[in-house]
Amino acid sequence: MVWYVAVFAFYIVFLIWANLKSLKAAESIDDFAIGGHRLGLLMSIGTTTATWVSVASVIGIPGYLYSTGVATIIGWVAGWAFGGALLPLVAYKVRRPKVPARTFPEFVRFRFEPFKKKSSLQALVGILMFIGYLLLVNIQVTGFGIVFSTITGIKYEFAIFGFLLFILLTSLGGFWSVAATDTLNTLLITIGVILAAGVVLVLTGGMTNILDTLATTTAPTIVGGPELEKGILLSPVGSFGLGALFSIFISNSLGTPSSPHWVARMVAPKNIKIAILQIMGTIFLLIFIMGPLIIVGLGAKVLIPSLPVGKTTDYIVPLLIQEYMHPFIGAVILIAICAAAISTANSMLLHCATSLYYDVYLNISSKKVSDKGFRNWLRLSIFGIAIVAVLLAIKPPWFIAMGFTYVYGGFGAAFFLVVFFGLYWKRMNKAGAYTGILVGSVVYIIAKAMEATNPFVVAVTASLIGVLIAVFTTKKPPIEAYEPYFNAEVSKSTEELYAKIRD
Amino acid sequence: MFIAMMFWVGVMVFSVVLNTFLCYKVEKSGVKRWGATGRIFKYK
Repeated sequence: MVWYVAVFAFYIVFLIWANLKSLKAAESIDDFAIGGHRLGLLMSIGTTTATWVSVASVIGIPGYLYSTGVATIIGWVAGWAFGGALLPLVAYKVRRPKVPARTFPEFVRFRFEPFKKKSSLQALVGILMFIGYLLLVNIQVTGFGIVFSTITGIKYEFAIFGFLLFILLTSLGGFWSVAATDTLNTLLITIGVILAAGVVLVLTGGMTNILDTLATTTAPTIVGGPELEKGILLSPVGSFGLGALFSIFISNSLGTPSSPHWVARMVAPKNIKIAILQIMGTIFLLIFIMGPLIIVGLGAKVLIPSLPVGKTTDYIVPLLIQEYMHPFIGAVILIAICAAAISTANSMLLHCATSLYYDVYLNISSKKVSDKGFRNWLRLSIFGIAIVAVLLAIKPPWFIAMGFTYVYGGFGAAFFLVVFFGLYWKRMNKAGAYTGILVGSVVYIIAKAMEATNPFVVAVTASLIGVLIAVFTTKKPPIEAYEPYFNAEVSKSTEELYAKIRD
Repeated sequence: MFIAMMFWVGVMVFSVVLNTFLCYKVEKSGVKRWGATGRIFKYK
């Protein structure tokens, strides 16, 4: 316990220091919401990596590797990487305007309803974002609570309220605070997972032993459960089946580049090239995080052939730490998990609060607000939403990694066409955007409820048909709507419009 | 295991190729505001 307290105390001191420093950097609304569109490459890579690696990665991925084997690498690890690989296509366009949007809903407004004083489209997207990110923050809280309470013995309910302090500490300074703490969190996550993989390799006798065991084991995932088919853990499609694995891959990948927080992240760097290179750097850095996590998840099957009754696969990492690791190493890995949860939760919390306050409230009320007023109200929103997310986590609703897939799939279904058609097709208009969002989200929910094999594909197909009908039966969009995303220099009317919006 | 890992490696290679192409497009545009510096991977 002493080790845990000492390592955690050091971590908290750093968070406070980083937050206080960042408070000075965030002065304007742009600074607070999106880092003033002036993030450099190193900090961009740091914050992108830390946001990418969530609890779903650090706990959920080893859990799925443990129960379903290497198919997880295709469904999740490669799925997320493919989605990330498509992000530069968004960055290449969305970062073009001289006046970039501050938030994802504002981008949708600029692109489809630039002349409206109160944009119902911006509000609609803001509300959908609020719901999605509230669930995602909740998943991070739940994941952290499970790990922390299992390892330290502290009650789950106390652990999640402790987590509340961490995310508030890193969110209240706005985007700069999130980015600064994320960069350190990336380092901590990398060290933690490499250390964990090292211990697992030593304990299991190396990768050859792990693969030999996986090839022959039939031990059930949970004691008393059905025995596994021999060799299934090394099968590329595992127990999912090709259709289900494809569905997971598609949801994880295509949902990513159209997820609001990733689109917003693409406007934070100084320019397009840095936005593109940040993804390249992140995908490279992820080798040193995902690689060790793969070793941990697969090696766990050798060390703990079956989980005790009453535990889900989300508990595999905590159990490994508890049973096999020295308390100091355990504390470092716990910090890594904590860092993964914080860095994703704080970013999503910021987006969640911004969408509610900026995109819904300020947009609909048309109120003018000072920079200071904006910061204070946004902090209050962050505070309120964080409390709600923690209260919802008292009774956790679902498996962690799967929860991520549901929300990402939903975002993808609602926003995929809006983002990519909006950025690459001049003819895409307001009617198309409304249709795409509404049809995509409603069909996704219905397809999920009816347990369709690939709800994402069903929803995007339905959305595509709806969008094409809507676009070709309504008027072309005004030049002011698409010009900034296609041309380096814009017409006078577009320049005046943007100046008026920001005034 | 090999197929799964190759799938992941394939995605990473795709990412490098796509990013390089987009950086090339930024350079070709010559727009400094977008990050054009004269060299593909050089940034300011």
